[in-house]
Amino acid sequence: MFKRWITAAALALGLSALAQTQIEFWTYYLSPNFDNYIKSTIADFERQNPTIKVRWVDKQDTMERDLTAAVALGKAPDVVNLWQDSTFAAAQNKILTPLTQLVNRNVLNQLYYPNVLDMFVMDGQVYGLPWYGWLDQGVMMYNPDLLQKAGVDARTIRNTDDLLAASEKIKKATGAYGWLPPVKDPNGASFLGRFFLEGLPVYDKDGKAAFNSPAHVALLQKYVDAMKNDIIPQELLRKEAFQLSNELYSQGKAAIVVGAPTTLNRVKEANPDLYAKTRIGPAPLGKAGIQTGGAMSLVIPSASKNKSAAIRFALFVTNRTNQVKFANVVPIVSTAAGSENDPGLKAKSNDPLEIGKGMNSASGRLINPGFKPPKNTDDIYKNFNDNIEAAFLGRKTPKQALDDAVAFWNANAR
Amino acid sequence: MKRQALTTTLIAYAFLAPALVLMGLFTFYPVFYGSYLGFTDYTVADLASGEGPRWVGLKNLEFVLGDPLFQTGLLNSLKYLLVVPVLQIASLAVAVLVNQKLPLMAFFRVGYYIPVVTSISLAAVMWEWIFQKEGFLNWSLQLLNLMNAEGRFNWLLNEHTALWAIMLVTFWRGFGYYMVLYLAGLQSIPAELEEAATLDGATAWQRFWLIIVPLMRPTLLLCSLLSTIAALRVLEEIIVFTGGSGGPLNSTYTALLYVYNKSWGNMLNANFGVAGAAGLLLALVGFALSYLNFRLTREERSER
Repeated sequence: MFKRWITAAALALGLSALAQTQIEFWTYYLSPNFDNYIKSTIADFERQNPTIKVRWVDKQDTMERDLTAAVALGKAPDVVNLWQDSTFAAAQNKILTPLTQLVNRNVLNQLYYPNVLDMFVMDGQVYGLPWYGWLDQGVMMYNPDLLQKAGVDARTIRNTDDLLAASEKIKKATGAYGWLPPVKDPNGASFLGRFFLEGLPVYDKDGKAAFNSPAHVALLQKYVDAMKNDIIPQELLRKEAFQLSNELYSQGKAAIVVGAPTTLNRVKEANPDLYAKTRIGPAPLGKAGIQTGGAMSLVIPSASKNKSAAIRFALFVTNRTNQVKFANVVPIVSTAAGSENDPGLKAKSNDPLEIGKGMNSASGRLINPGFKPPKNTDDIYKNFNDNIEAAFLGRKTPKQALDDAVAFWNANAR
Repeated sequence: MKRQALTTTLIAYAFLAPALVLMGLFTFYPVFYGSYLGFTDYTVADLASGEGPRWVGLKNLEFVLGDPLFQTGLLNSLKYLLVVPVLQIASLAVAVLVNQKLPLMAFFRVGYYIPVVTSISLAAVMWEWIFQKEGFLNWSLQLLNLMNAEGRFNWLLNEHTALWAIMLVTFWRGFGYYMVLYLAGLQSIPAELEEAATLDGATAWQRFWLIIVPLMRPTLLLCSLLSTIAALRVLEEIIVFTGGSGGPLNSTYTALLYVYNKSWGNMLNANFGVAGAAGLLLALVGFALSYLNFRLTREERSER
């Protein structure tokens, strides 16, 4: 009798193992900081879907390389965490599954903020489910001592022009920089964001690049002059603004940081006294009155062998419950529709970081990527950045730089 | 006897086999396949759809040669070679100095070797401080009255100095390595020669140029060859100092950075055909320079 039981049990185990699907999930730079969150989310999913096992791998610097290699080797992962530019590049090269093959578009429209979902639409197809997002402007954090010394009242800083004007006063009075705007970075085309924030279009109505109007030129000129007069540091041409802001703010060499409140985590580590003093206010916006931002995506490679299990898992990870949980671990912006009313996202204390989190995490409906990357992104962005750099270094006039960039863009966006 | 010779040969090959297999797999095969890809059309899209490379002949080579970015890159790579003679002479000179039997020499030898084993990302942080506007380099130049406060600039943000600044870092990193090779070479110079020269009244300068440099020429040429190839292959420094952009204004964009950016650097948009062709062209330059170096060594040997 006992023997028979054992046999039956073994058979059942064997069968359930056979019926189990294993999927592989790749994240981007989330381990070790968020191990607990990711592992518990996977455990929840496996409990609800006993036939699916998830193997989690965190990729870092080599994500794109490894993804391409895995696809080429026929060992594609099933769910992969990419970002907008990489989702576009992968979709263009036909590495990704159009997700509407797996789930109805109307369902997606209800699950996510439409502005964010649209970021991952290429040629009418959805290629990524929106995951955690961020706002580029976020909030304004400032060093009240430096502002006071310069006679600047933070409440009067309402837009980017005010920010530049305040930066000039601060630099003259204290020698410290004020605000460090992103003007160029190696992996994107930051200055396009500046245009967009001021309400200047990147494309014309036919989808051609059109950022060389007199208004665009004047805007670039304004920043070029600011750099020439050392109101914004030249080092911005070499380092990403958020990185430089972090460094200089913590050293007391920059007075204002506009960005995600998570920036303060680093200030807290590097200079606890300054962290305690730091004040927070709403982010000054450009003339367009909008925030730019972005979001990570979860994509399913077309070479995945378990697409139905993969989409089930991707929908689970990106659902509102799990994004709100994530936002309570680290102040990400939830991209799941309805998050602005989620009780899980209300501020819990008066700590500057807590207030910032509260303002931030529930604002997914404000995420606006501004514009879609062009096709042939790498070459076009490189040319754009080279031209912007030439203008900042005084080798081209802003008009010449933008004319050249537009001409190259329109000739090379396939 | 013959049989014994055969056994010896077989044993020798058996010892070589593991290394040969590994090199075949990870060096020779990639070299040949990469060269082949240079003549084909092969992108990530092909890779993803399982399509193989399509032969296109010289199309990629034409494209690469006509691409202004590659031309700039090649020019910068050639400029980078200027680090070679300076590096070699300086490390030989210092090798001679630390070869003397004086107190604390071991300390100096270790000191000069430390940059070789220092991680470039760490070293980059230090060098960025040195090169920045308020940095050590400008401060020193001001102290020497070679620069005034208004003339200060960031050496990595000026298109006329950025490449030289990065070359200085390569110099600093390579210095200790070549010094050790020269130290080994110096041990083989008979002490009598120098002693005789000293007795004849030769100055230290004369001894260096007329005795040490000629006798060290084989080592000098070997090291020059190694460092020429290293200079053509420089990539780490450029990536850490410019984030892979080769800026400012492409003044630090090298030919290998072009290869890298067409393949690994932007993997999801990689074009292996173009990267292969550019790599092939760069290899040709390397071959030409190596050949030149070998020719020089051969003449040197026949003269003796």
